[in-house]
Amino acid sequence: MLKVKDLKRYFKSGDVVVKAVDGVSFEIPDGKFISIIGQSGSGKTSLLSLLGALDKPTDGAIEVDGSDITKLNANSLNSYRANTIGFVFQSYNLVPNLTAIENVMLPMEFIKVAKTERLARARELLAEVGLSDDQMDRKPGKLSGGQQQRVAIARALANKPKYILADEPTGNLDSDTGRKIFNLLHDLTKKEKTTIIAVTHDLSIAGKTDQSFRLKDGKLVNSSVAKKKK
Amino acid sequence: MNWFSRGVRNAFRNATRTTALVVIIGLSIGLALSMLIANQAVSQKINSVKSSVDNTVSIFPAGLRGFAGGGTPLTQSQLKAVSSEPHVTKLDETLSDRLTSSDTNLSSAISAGSLGRRFAGNGFAGGNGGFAPNFNFTPPVTVNGTTDPTNLGSSSATTGGGSFSLKSGSVINGLSDADVAMVGSALAAKNNLKVGSTFTAYNTTFTVSGIFSTGTKFGDNQVIMPLATVQRLSGQVGDVTAATAYVDSIINLSSVTSKIKQILGSSADVTNSEQQAQTAVSSLQSIQTVSLYSLVGAVIAGAVIVLMSMVMIVRERRREIGIIKAMGSSNLRLFGQFMAESVTLTLIAAVLGIIIGTITSNPITQMLVSNSSTGTSVKAAGPGGGFGFARHFGGLAALRGDVSTIHAAVGYGIIGYGLLAAVVIAIIGTLAATYFIAQVRPAEVMRVE
Ligand SMILES: Nc1ncnc2c1ncn2[C@@H]1O[C@H](COP(=O)(O)OP(=O)(O)OP(=O)(O)O)[C@@H](O)[C@H]1O
Ligand SMILES: [Mg+2]
Repeated sequence: MLKVKDLKRYFKSGDVVVKAVDGVSFEIPDGKFISIIGQSGSGKTSLLSLLGALDKPTDGAIEVDGSDITKLNANSLNSYRANTIGFVFQSYNLVPNLTAIENVMLPMEFIKVAKTERLARARELLAEVGLSDDQMDRKPGKLSGGQQQRVAIARALANKPKYILADEPTGNLDSDTGRKIFNLLHDLTKKEKTTIIAVTHDLSIAGKTDQSFRLKDGKLVNSSVAKKKK
Repeated sequence: MNWFSRGVRNAFRNATRTTALVVIIGLSIGLALSMLIANQAVSQKINSVKSSVDNTVSIFPAGLRGFAGGGTPLTQSQLKAVSSEPHVTKLDETLSDRLTSSDTNLSSAISAGSLGRRFAGNGFAGGNGGFAPNFNFTPPVTVNGTTDPTNLGSSSATTGGGSFSLKSGSVINGLSDADVAMVGSALAAKNNLKVGSTFTAYNTTFTVSGIFSTGTKFGDNQVIMPLATVQRLSGQVGDVTAATAYVDSIINLSSVTSKIKQILGSSADVTNSEQQAQTAVSSLQSIQTVSLYSLVGAVIAGAVIVLMSMVMIVRERRREIGIIKAMGSSNLRLFGQFMAESVTLTLIAAVLGIIIGTITSNPITQMLVSNSSTGTSVKAAGPGGGFGFARHFGGLAALRGDVSTIHAAVGYGIIGYGLLAAVVIAIIGTLAATYFIAQVRPAEVMRVE
C-alpha cells in the first residue's frame, strides 16, 4: 500500500518559486497499474522522483507499507531504491560501458546477490523481454531503442521490486513498439503482483490502466478509476 | 561485474585518454623515482663523508703547515689552557724538526728528484738559499717529537698522513724524555737499522725502539721521538708546531673549536674536521634538497593530474553515476569504483615510470652532482712525496673527488616506492573527485537530455 499525503515539491529559481508538486494526496493498493497524465510541466516527473526517493519533498509524507520514506537516512534510502523500486526511464538510461546482461546484473549487486545467481537471473529476464543471446552481450550503443528499453525493463525487474516507476517509457519509441513495451511491462508486473506507476502521454494506454491520475500545475485534478478492465 | 571490475574496465574506456594519462602520470612517477634515487645516492654519500669525520680540532701556529710557510711556534703553556677546556678529552702535541747531515749519521731514503731540487733551489727547504738548482740536495730526515707516537693524523702535514703500524719492536712513550726513537721502515732499510740498533741525531746516540710503516714513502722516511726529547735536543723547549685536541662528542665540536680560537687568538690556525667535511658535503646537501623538492613536486604534479582527470571523468559520467545511485548504490561503492579506475591507470603508469626512472636516474644524478660541484672542487690532490703542505688537504680533495663517483643504484625498493607512489597519487587524486560523485543527485537522471 502506497499512501501519499499532501506532498509538495517546490523549486526556487531566483525569486520565483515553482510549485512542481503542490499538495498531492492519494492511495494506491498493491498490484495496481496506475497511469499519470498531464501537460508538460505539470509535475509528473517531479512526483515520480519523489515516489522513487530520488528527490526529497519540500513537505508531506510518502508512506510505503506504513513507513514514511521521506524520513529515511542515507543507508535506508539506498536500500529502499535497491529493493522496493524499479525504474524505467524515457531515455532508457543504460550504463554505456556495460553489456545488456551486465546492466541487468547491476542492481542485483546492491542487494548482494551472488554472482552466478545474478548472471542466471539476468539471462532469464532478458530472454523474457525477448532479447536474443547475441544481443545480451552487446553494449547499449549497439541495440535499437526498443531493445534498449527491453533491457531497461529487465533491469527494473531484476530485484523483484514492489513498485515499478516508469516515466514515459514509450516516449522515444514509435507507437507500435511503444504499445508492445507497455504490454510487456503490464504482463510481467501482473505476474509478479507488482504495482506500476507510469507517466504517459498516450491516452489509449492510459485508458487501459486500473486508475489514472491527472496532474495540472502540480495538483491532482481528477483521478479516474477505469471502468473497463482490460 | 562488481564495483571493482567496473572501475578497472572503465580505466580502458577511452583509449586516447588512457594512453595520454598513462604517459603523463608515468613521466611524473619516473621523475619522482629518479629524484628519489638521486636523493638516496646523495644522502648515502653525505653519511659516509660525515661518518668519516672525527671529533678533533687541528691547531697549527698561524701561517705554518709542516715546513711550509712560517710563523712562531705555539708554546705548551699556551696549549695548557686548551687541554683544560671542558669537553677536551685529550691534547696531542707535536714538534717537527729536520735533521741535517751535520748532526746525524742517518741518510734519507728519498732522493730529491726534480721536485725536491726545485723546492730546495728556491730556498724553500731552508739552509740552501739562492735560486740556482741545488743538485747536491737530498731531502732531510724529518723528526716528529710527539706526545702520541702512534697517531700520525695529529700532524699529518709533517708525518705524511697514512696509518701507523708497528713492524717490529715496541712503541716509545711520547711523554718520556728518553733518547729513544721509532724509525720509519724506509729509513731503517736505507740505514740498516734494526730494533736495538743505535744512530746519531742531534749529536746524541739514540736507540731504535721500533720500526713502523705508514703506507707512504714520505711517512716512512721519518723518525718519531718523545716530544720532550726533541724539544730539549733541538733547543726548542716548550715549543709545539702542531696540536690536536680531542673533543668528547661531535656535538661539542664547533663550540670547542671557537673556544680554542678564542684562547689562542691570532697565534694559531684552528680548524676542525667537521668544517672540512662540511665544505665537501654542502654542495651535496643542496643536491639533496633539490632532489627532495623535485620528488615531492613530481608526486604532487602526478596527483594533480589524476585529480583533474578524475574530476573531468566524474563530470562526464554524471548521468551514469545518477543511474547507479538511482538503482540503490551507496556513494562508498561508487568511490570504490572510481578509486579502482584511477589506481589501475596509475599502476600502469607506474610500470612506465619505473622504466623511465631506472633509465634516467643515473644520468640525472650525475648531472646534478657534476653541475653543482664544478667551481668548488679542488684541482689537485697535492704532490705525493713532496713537502707536506698539499698533503694536508689531500684527504679532503680525495673526498671531493669521490663526490663525482656517486652511483645511483636502482634496487627492488625503488619498484616498491614506484607502486606506492602510484597508489598514493591515485588515492589523493580521486579523493577530491569523490566530492563531485557525492554531489550527483539521482533525480537528475529523470531529465531527458
Ligand atoms: N531542478 C529543477 N529546478 C527548477 N525547476 C524545476 C526543476 N525540476 C523541475 N522543475 C520545474 O517543475 C515543473 C515540473 O516539472 P516536471 O519535469 O515534473 O514536469 P513534467 O510533468 O514531467 O513535464 P514533461 O511532460 O515535459 O516531462 C516545471 O515547471 C519545471 O520547470
Ligand atoms: Mg517529465
